[in-house]
Amino acid sequence: MDQPVSCHPATPQQSTPEQTMTAFTAGLWKQNPVFVMVLGMCPTLAITNSVRNAIAMGLATTFVMASANGFISLIRKLVPKQVRIATYILMIATSVTIVDYLVKAISIPVYKALGAFIPLIVSNCLTLERAESYAGRNPIFKSILDGLGMGLGFTFALTCLGTVREVLGAGTFLGFPLFGPNFEPWVLFLLPPGGFITLAMWLLTFTLWRERAAKRKKAREAAEQIAVEAA
Amino acid sequence: MTGNASQMIRLMAAVSLLCGLLIVGTEINTSARIRHNQEAIMRESVAQLLPGIEKQIIYGIQPSGELVILPNVETPGPRFFAGYDASGKFLDVVIEASERGYADVISAMYRYSPATRTITGFQVIDMKETPGLGNKIGSDAGFLENFKQLDATHPIGTVKHGAKKNPWEIDAISGATISSRAVGRMLQKSVAEITPAVQRNLDRIQRGQ
Repeated sequence: MDQPVSCHPATPQQSTPEQTMTAFTAGLWKQNPVFVMVLGMCPTLAITNSVRNAIAMGLATTFVMASANGFISLIRKLVPKQVRIATYILMIATSVTIVDYLVKAISIPVYKALGAFIPLIVSNCLTLERAESYAGRNPIFKSILDGLGMGLGFTFALTCLGTVREVLGAGTFLGFPLFGPNFEPWVLFLLPPGGFITLAMWLLTFTLWRERAAKRKKAREAAEQIAVEAA
Repeated sequence: MTGNASQMIRLMAAVSLLCGLLIVGTEINTSARIRHNQEAIMRESVAQLLPGIEKQIIYGIQPSGELVILPNVETPGPRFFAGYDASGKFLDVVIEASERGYADVISAMYRYSPATRTITGFQVIDMKETPGLGNKIGSDAGFLENFKQLDATHPIGTVKHGAKKNPWEIDAISGATISSRAVGRMLQKSVAEITPAVQRNLDRIQRGQ
């Protein structure tokens, strides 16, 4: 092997504004990291026992993904294939360290609540998956949008789980009591089994929703086809 | 192959340098704010344990047992906070303590009254105990009742829920025995380590020197 093999496509990909926008919106819904790709399960289950923690972790991950995707895309043409994973990990770890300092500077209680899960964003398979499959092959703007979209999709999913768990498990939303003093919290939902149960309920809900939407789309297309043939 | 390897090494060195610079830059720009936040949380906890406090002095305990006034909360080593009201009258001291709990280390602060040699307040600063069970040590009214007049002249210990007979015993929370026992061990160790220096230097502390 005389020359290092780059992991990026030989020619830059040209994209339409719609394709660029798709890079952002895909992660929010169609390719939602939690409800569709089922990635990043460790923080999804561990820190969603309150809405505040879920939002903080989601935003921290969003920042890491957007900045790491940007860095990686910027140098993708220089990175030889053999060291690309090491380089990606280095850049993701740098973004995570910066987030670690920023969260500590913004709010110590949030930093304490998130505990070890901020450093563990490095090992979140979602960040490396987007670096390898998207940022290493696409221009910088699209890569940052992909990171933002995936991160916000991750935040949305974490907030969905956190809402159910906090409301049922503590009777509060963002720390504000929702029910009277006679409400007996369902503590199970704050414990690990509650995380699995809530995740299963959300996955079931989204799968049914997507299946129904697909069926409706299929029926609409069939109706249009019949109308065209009749005409 | 040599060219390939040297290119990879150069690239990794450049990326590492860039990452290092970014991290150092962030550390420099956030360190003052982080210090400020940590100090604010600590001082807020002291104020909650000592209502009416207007001034506080942080005393460090040297290996010889001598007290030194510390400039800020960052200075490591055994220490305590002395609180004074608006007229300069000494209130009590607040002592930090920590102990391994069920999930991780529990950090807390407690109010110690040198005059009566009792613990008269307790507040958890940081813990990762089980939500709904172990984490009740920071909020359960019955458990916190233990620290209204806890005798510190005897070794403090935790007893099963409902079995408290003596003023130096802590009545555990049912279903959170490990966390309750950790609080007992924490206070026992901390009282043995810190309060002798407080009692020895009480005149000086009362004068705020």
